[in-house]
Amino acid sequence: MIFLFVLTLLQVQVPDAQQVIGPPKGLPIAGAQLDQRTNEVASLLRCPVCQGLSVADSPSTVAQDMKQQVRELLGRGYTQEQILAYFEHSYGQFVLQKPKFQGVAALVWLLPIAALIFGAIVVFSKAKQLEKGPQKAAAAEPEDPYIARVRELVEKQ
Amino acid sequence: MNRIVLISGLVIFAALVGVLFLNLGHDPSAIDSPLVGKPAPNFALKAVGSGETIDVARLRGKPAIINFWATWCGPCYQEHPVLVQNARVLGNDVQFVGVVFNDTEQKIQAFLNERGSSYPTLLDESGKTAIAYGVGGVPETFFLDRTGKIVAKYAGPLTTEELQTNLAKAMK
Repeated sequence: MIFLFVLTLLQVQVPDAQQVIGPPKGLPIAGAQLDQRTNEVASLLRCPVCQGLSVADSPSTVAQDMKQQVRELLGRGYTQEQILAYFEHSYGQFVLQKPKFQGVAALVWLLPIAALIFGAIVVFSKAKQLEKGPQKAAAAEPEDPYIARVRELVEKQ
Repeated sequence: MNRIVLISGLVIFAALVGVLFLNLGHDPSAIDSPLVGKPAPNFALKAVGSGETIDVARLRGKPAIINFWATWCGPCYQEHPVLVQNARVLGNDVQFVGVVFNDTEQKIQAFLNERGSSYPTLLDESGKTAIAYGVGGVPETFFLDRTGKIVAKYAGPLTTEELQTNLAKAMK
């Protein structure tokens, strides 16, 4: 079989983050600061092959590769936002531990707040009703004619 | 007040049922690739065996299938004959490329010697190519059209039917 590839003596080239996120916007870091920032940024990324583990916490080889790349990008001066954007470009929002406040993902933030407000309204309304007292509340409502008739018959006896 | 509570509760319940209903039959492990519709990331990696460097940017002009796999991946054993057979049949019209990551050249060579090969297999030593393609687990396969744009991604072991269905999108 004939391969139509042009086999050249090229150097090995892996995809570079610069093609996606441009040049670094920060300053290169090294040493203990690099270790610390690597863990911080890696903890913001979800391990794609794990159940609920971040890249920082996962022992999987994929997560280790991703963590190594985070380290390398930080060492080159890329910012946290740029690095997250790079991983999001390939994996989608799924890779972000904190969903962004946009599109359907915004519901993740909005629904609990809406539920809390709704719950508070229900609780305050019920509390107000109870404040009125059961007798007042009962007096406010007209009595069922059937119950009135029963009451009348009972009182007669 | 009670009526408002009841209606609100029903609306929330209906929304939840709606979401669950829409997701029925959806594979929770399947992750849609944001790269579909975008140009495939370029890379040039060494081919296992020959040691020659193959630049995928030069695959343009023909539809291409880039398959990420590894020798430690069970489903890849099941998928391998499907790819080898289809590459033998379609090899003149479609470029097949295997990319192996988190693996060693020795193991890959032994795998290919034992199970056959009909297209180049490249070694992604750093795993950066896999990351650039958003690969989580293996096998994962990307279908590229003639212009080098990713038109489909398939996660899991391919069958001939699935390969041809996805390849049809790349042949358009």
